[in-house]
Amino acid sequence: MSKIDSIDDTSGDKYKYGFVTDIDSETAPKGLNEDIIRLISAKKQEPDWLLEFRLKAFEFWQGLSEPNWAKLSYDKIDYQDLHYYSAPKQKVEPKSLDEVDPELLATYEKLGIPLKEQEVLAGVVAVDAVFDSVSVATTYRAKLAEKGVIFCSISEAIREHPELVRKYLGSVVPYTDNFYACLNSAVFTDGSFVYIPKGVKCPMELSTYFRINAKNTGQFERTLIVADEDSYVSYLEGCTAPQRDENQLHAAIVEIVVLKDAEVKYSTVQNWYPGDKDGKGGVYNFVTKRAACRGENAKVSWTQVETGSAVTWKYPSCVLQGDNSVGEFYSVAITNNHQQADTGTKMIHIGKNTSSKIISKGISAGFSNQTYRGLVKISPNADNARNYSQCDSLLIGATCGSHTVPYIENRNRTAKLEHEATTSKISDEQLFYCRQRGINEEEAVGLIVNGFCKEVMQHLPMEFAIEAAKLINISLEGSVG
Amino acid sequence: MAGLLQKTPLMGKDSPWLSGIRKRGWDSFVKQGIPTAKTEAWKYTKPRDLAAEDFVVSKISMSEASKIDLPFDCYYIRFENGWFCPSQSNLPQGVEVVPLIEVALLKPHLQKYFCSLAQVDGNPFVALNQAYLQEGVFIKIENNINLQKPLAIINHTTTESANIFFNLRNIIVVDKDSSATIVEYHTYSGEAKSRYLANIVNEIYLASGAELNHYKVQSEAFKANHISFSVASLKKDSSYNSFCLQKGANIGRNETLVKMHEEGAKTEVNSAYLMNGWATLDTTTNIEHLAPCTSSHQLIKGVIGGEAKGVFQGKIHIAPHAIKTEGNQLHKALLLTDTAEVDVKPELEIFADDVKCSHGATSGELDAEQLFYMRSRGIGLSEARQILIDAYLDEVITKISNEKIKDWIKLFAQEKSK
Repeated sequence: MSKIDSIDDTSGDKYKYGFVTDIDSETAPKGLNEDIIRLISAKKQEPDWLLEFRLKAFEFWQGLSEPNWAKLSYDKIDYQDLHYYSAPKQKVEPKSLDEVDPELLATYEKLGIPLKEQEVLAGVVAVDAVFDSVSVATTYRAKLAEKGVIFCSISEAIREHPELVRKYLGSVVPYTDNFYACLNSAVFTDGSFVYIPKGVKCPMELSTYFRINAKNTGQFERTLIVADEDSYVSYLEGCTAPQRDENQLHAAIVEIVVLKDAEVKYSTVQNWYPGDKDGKGGVYNFVTKRAACRGENAKVSWTQVETGSAVTWKYPSCVLQGDNSVGEFYSVAITNNHQQADTGTKMIHIGKNTSSKIISKGISAGFSNQTYRGLVKISPNADNARNYSQCDSLLIGATCGSHTVPYIENRNRTAKLEHEATTSKISDEQLFYCRQRGINEEEAVGLIVNGFCKEVMQHLPMEFAIEAAKLINISLEGSVG
Repeated sequence: MAGLLQKTPLMGKDSPWLSGIRKRGWDSFVKQGIPTAKTEAWKYTKPRDLAAEDFVVSKISMSEASKIDLPFDCYYIRFENGWFCPSQSNLPQGVEVVPLIEVALLKPHLQKYFCSLAQVDGNPFVALNQAYLQEGVFIKIENNINLQKPLAIINHTTTESANIFFNLRNIIVVDKDSSATIVEYHTYSGEAKSRYLANIVNEIYLASGAELNHYKVQSEAFKANHISFSVASLKKDSSYNSFCLQKGANIGRNETLVKMHEEGAKTEVNSAYLMNGWATLDTTTNIEHLAPCTSSHQLIKGVIGGEAKGVFQGKIHIAPHAIKTEGNQLHKALLLTDTAEVDVKPELEIFADDVKCSHGATSGELDAEQLFYMRSRGIGLSEARQILIDAYLDEVITKISNEKIKDWIKLFAQEKSK
């Protein structure tokens, strides 16, 4: 376990040819059928109930068709032309940073990532080699174990904690949910599992970035987070550094269960390969993320900074079942060149006195198109439900597009709902003010955009926020002037 | 659906042009069918009732046109059960009001105005209307005419035991630098439980500098279906202002499409709806900014009681290069009962950067503090509610510039909210 395979050290050229994966001995043949699913399950030595779950999902998936309601256009994906199982590959690793793509290094530089970390990201060294004597991951795990927190890969959790996984897996996102979630349920290979016991405040922020097991979780990742009564956890997914992932299609699921009085904060920074300047290649990111507030006073908060991927289809949602539960969604999405993003959230109010807040900031530049698509639903029993939504879009350049499609369904008289959306460009006055004070145009745009996103950025954990601010500037490079 | 597809003798069967138009409508409706929950444009409004087999094409009315007069001076254009009734109105020079079928058959140079704005694709009821194209009026206002008196289009339905259906299409052409006001009024008398269908299409052409105020009151029987589609095409510096009050029908839909083709065009699309019982009232707007320096403003307010459902779908589209445009929209709903429902889908679709666009949507109940304020001053609960509801709707009704029409519409709203 000392190699990182999720980072490709070559330039983006590889993406030109679509779904090319090197075939080695540990890769299942292309295509999707029952045998492949049995193979995945057998390889992972899974219990029968899980195999059954996968097969049921697969059967259901065959009757589904790909959703086409999103404002996205991409070439049709041939699901029979993919590999659904591929063990971590033994690749030729770069020996030192000198061998790494200079473009990648330049980006690390701008993000201010320490040299040691750069080596990890580029795949020169393994994570546990970063900090000299004791592996950081091991230290973390010991500290977590002391509190009773379980933080491991989902495969490990299936082996070690089958009762927990069985109870919650698929309970928030059932396999019947949607096309991509169903596909994931049938073929998911790995992902993370977190369990926070009753009354425990997780002593540190959990991050996939520093979890060794998170390596090469691949395209069908599945994350399950369970926060038991009165517990708290902050979970970070992804990292700000550009990731040259070898998988073009990603269909992940994140399920969060929040019990009485518990709170979960889930932050994502997604910076996968967005394709080149002409829109060739890039990752297709089709993710189903949902949190269920099952008990009273439960709270869940999604924060996302989306700058990567060629195509994003992602709607982190909150099902507010418990009375007084709270759902929050803070999002910054930046699209440049030919990127497309159709993203937003769903807030389903079921319990009484539930409240939700949506702050979405979209920035489109170049030839990109971005859509905010959201749903706020108040069921008849959700007395005194409260929602506030704000969706602002900023357009940079005359060739991009920005769209807002909120759905608001209210079946309770006492609910108070407010939705606001605005679209505009960077005001000439603001730009002029900055330019007058000697700030060049590109920096000025970065400054204004960062101000525009401030409301969301302040919900990111500190160290993440600083990097994310820099990331915004980098994502917009070349979009002005 | 078979109930709506009936072979019926229509005038002008010998005209290949007209037959072609009707056939395209018929084929398109057969292909599209009645919208279901899966039809995105009809996601929240389900005209299931229309699938019934018992609809019959309305027969020409032999009786005299019912004399419904409006409390303001206007030119009358009357329809009975969707059939045109010739009436005496001395129109000023330069204003023409001709039955649609007459224009279709005798004035080929005006054929270009037929069915070119209201597209059948994606609009099953426009297709249905086109399949039965016959009744309606063609209104043409020549250059430089400022028509002082409003033109009132009154459609009166006498409900019978049978569930009738009819299709009406009006084509309104306002030439250069002219202005006019149109009042559209849909009402009924007789059996209140009749499930008739009124399917209305308006095609409006505004030349440069033209101005049209289009006011509408929909006050159909409470089991009726009223489906209306208005489309306006705007040239340079023209303006289209519309207001619609929906207060009747079981399924009522008022859809407005405004296409601003040239610079300086502006539009205001306002609406109010009031409902109780089991009704679904749908307000759908689609504002297309296709040229730079165009502007649009929308305010829609609804009061929903009983087990009724209010629906609002509003789209602002800004085409690439349509810069310096301004588009805003606000929908507010007031829920009066525990069983009322409101479904809202505002939408911005923007392909240009130098624009200012916004939309807002709110939903809530009557303010308890305001009610308390009035009750503590000796005003009874029902009266206090009435005052608040009237005040709530006043914000949008006040946008009607013609004082007399404003007062007339206000009365409808107050009567309904009682």
